[in-house]
Amino acid sequence: MAPRCDRVTFLAESELTTDHDSSLDCKKVVWDSWRRHADSTPEREAIVHLSTDAEPFRWHWGSLMRAASRAAAWLAEHGVQKGDVCALIVRHNPHFYPLYLGVSSLGALPAVLAYPNARLHPDKFRQGLEGMSRRSGLDQILTERALEPMVTPLVAGEGSTIRNILYPLEVLSLPGSSDHAIAEHAPVSPDEPCLLQHSSGTTGLQKPVVLSHRAVLEHVQRYAEAIGLNAKDRIVSWLPLYHDMGLIAAFYLPLVSGVPLVQLSPMEWVSAPILLLEAISRERATLCWLPNFAYRFMADRIRDEDIDGLRLDSLRLVVNCSEPVRAESHDGFHKRFARYGIKRESFGACYAMAETTFAATQTPPGKEARRLLLDRAALSRGEVRVLPANEFAGGRWCVSSGQPVPGCALRIVDEQRKDFPPNRVGEIAISSVSLFDGYRNYPEKTAEVLADGWYFSGDYGFIHDGDCYVVGRKKDLIIVAGNNVFPEDVEDAVGAVPGVIAGRVVAFGVDDERLETEVLCVIAETDTQTDSEVKTLRLAILQAGMAIDATISRVYLVPPRWLIKSSSGKPARSTNRDRALAELRWS
Amino acid sequence: MISNQLRKVILSQLGLDDWDIRDSTNAGQIPGWDSLSHAMIIAAVEDEFGVRFTTREVLQLANVGQLQELLNRKTG
Repeated sequence: MAPRCDRVTFLAESELTTDHDSSLDCKKVVWDSWRRHADSTPEREAIVHLSTDAEPFRWHWGSLMRAASRAAAWLAEHGVQKGDVCALIVRHNPHFYPLYLGVSSLGALPAVLAYPNARLHPDKFRQGLEGMSRRSGLDQILTERALEPMVTPLVAGEGSTIRNILYPLEVLSLPGSSDHAIAEHAPVSPDEPCLLQHSSGTTGLQKPVVLSHRAVLEHVQRYAEAIGLNAKDRIVSWLPLYHDMGLIAAFYLPLVSGVPLVQLSPMEWVSAPILLLEAISRERATLCWLPNFAYRFMADRIRDEDIDGLRLDSLRLVVNCSEPVRAESHDGFHKRFARYGIKRESFGACYAMAETTFAATQTPPGKEARRLLLDRAALSRGEVRVLPANEFAGGRWCVSSGQPVPGCALRIVDEQRKDFPPNRVGEIAISSVSLFDGYRNYPEKTAEVLADGWYFSGDYGFIHDGDCYVVGRKKDLIIVAGNNVFPEDVEDAVGAVPGVIAGRVVAFGVDDERLETEVLCVIAETDTQTDSEVKTLRLAILQAGMAIDATISRVYLVPPRWLIKSSSGKPARSTNRDRALAELRWS
Repeated sequence: MISNQLRKVILSQLGLDDWDIRDSTNAGQIPGWDSLSHAMIIAAVEDEFGVRFTTREVLQLANVGQLQELLNRKTG
């Protein structure tokens, strides 16, 4: 029997089988799967790149791999070598994909980073890259000419590991011959690094995760099994690729398995959310991953008059991931778009993180994610007490994130990392065949979260009837519309604003019912008293947030010594958050 | 030239008392105007002026001056 890896990478017209009896072929790297698609199905669609200013750009496996070879040859000529960490910082561009594949084929490690938007201060962007260079040993920056003034100083920067700044798309987006002969791709073993992704944030506090070819292939194969991936599937996505959900679920999964990917621009989608539904309708997409806020966002922002001949009946699974899953988000989206054919059983969910490559749990395809109405008071004591669905008062709906994907196991543990029984809320710990080996060059952070093959996630949840429910985070991380925001970053930025007492700032997230995501709030101590000074200070705080690309939604200005300190002498986030919400009005 | 009426709608959507908004000002230069609030602001402008923008029109806007021009064409 052929190894299972072949079944995924060779995805033909027949459906994938789901036998479990053979292990992954240990001689494979991701490049092998791409090569095989190009050899066996060169005319099959690989990636459909959508953009509102041009016709869809359709890569087929043959043309994609020829372009990738050309990119690899160009990169090699310009000094990119096996093992180099290559930051890719480019906007939505159809020639990004072969560039990415080209980097990978040289045995270098692609790391997709967010292209800086107008809000982000150039110095902050540069500091982020410097931090990444120190942490990850960044070797090459592959970007656009527009960023040249911002990135050029980095090469000469003290302690910089960056050897080169290249502008590959200027050449690779031109029609050119594919005569650049390229030697066989660099010999790479499955246990060597495949890519670098960041567990959260893009600032100096980012935590780089390096994944091996084996981890990526193992994960993609097993996750494909969990969602019943088959040859009729088409994946549609607007997700950015600097986030694990976009990179693994909506890039590696389709490319390794040979399922076509339809990719939209994140910026265009957020300006015109109808674009995603139009893409689903036109391209007959079957699978989609979305952070929770996107359900409400689309239900609210898409108007009937923009909808023309929409058909969503092809969607068999929409996976809610990367923010806490809310029952009302699913209900609102279904109510709004049911008339266009989306089915209740298509609403799934998963629990995922970069440290386990992607998914730890997934709801079964063809079934709506289960939900429980829980006694809120019991839940706050860490106990799971299920209420009848009609006893909503005092209840909180929790949506299941499903069961562990194959190759993955979950535990719920107490403060001492001892196991809790089912129906007790504790920290979620995960072991997985595709677990990361640790944060790159960050042993102290690694030691905090990784022990005996288990990753301690910092998330709170419980197991009920075999399903995992995630109810909150132990960490102070704030998730605004799927984006992770470190409170430390915001506190540093706001603490530097003249008029704010240095070190006397707390940032935290609060659920926003209207947006169905968290919004960013700041408490800052100040001596300022007059109305006009307070107004000016408030604006300066908002601008300080803008400079690090964080939208501060609420500012609480408080007098000196208002903030409560923790034993470490720093203001305690959760205590002050609760006090502010109870006592203060924000402005 | 940005009209007072447009300026007021934008500021009120963002909860700002005041902000210098010129033709060349883009969303990234106004506190709170991020990708998520963009659609909300556009909807508020449409309601205030009784107009409708198409997806393509919204995507092509590069700064507030262009939003004002588009409004002038629709209301003119």
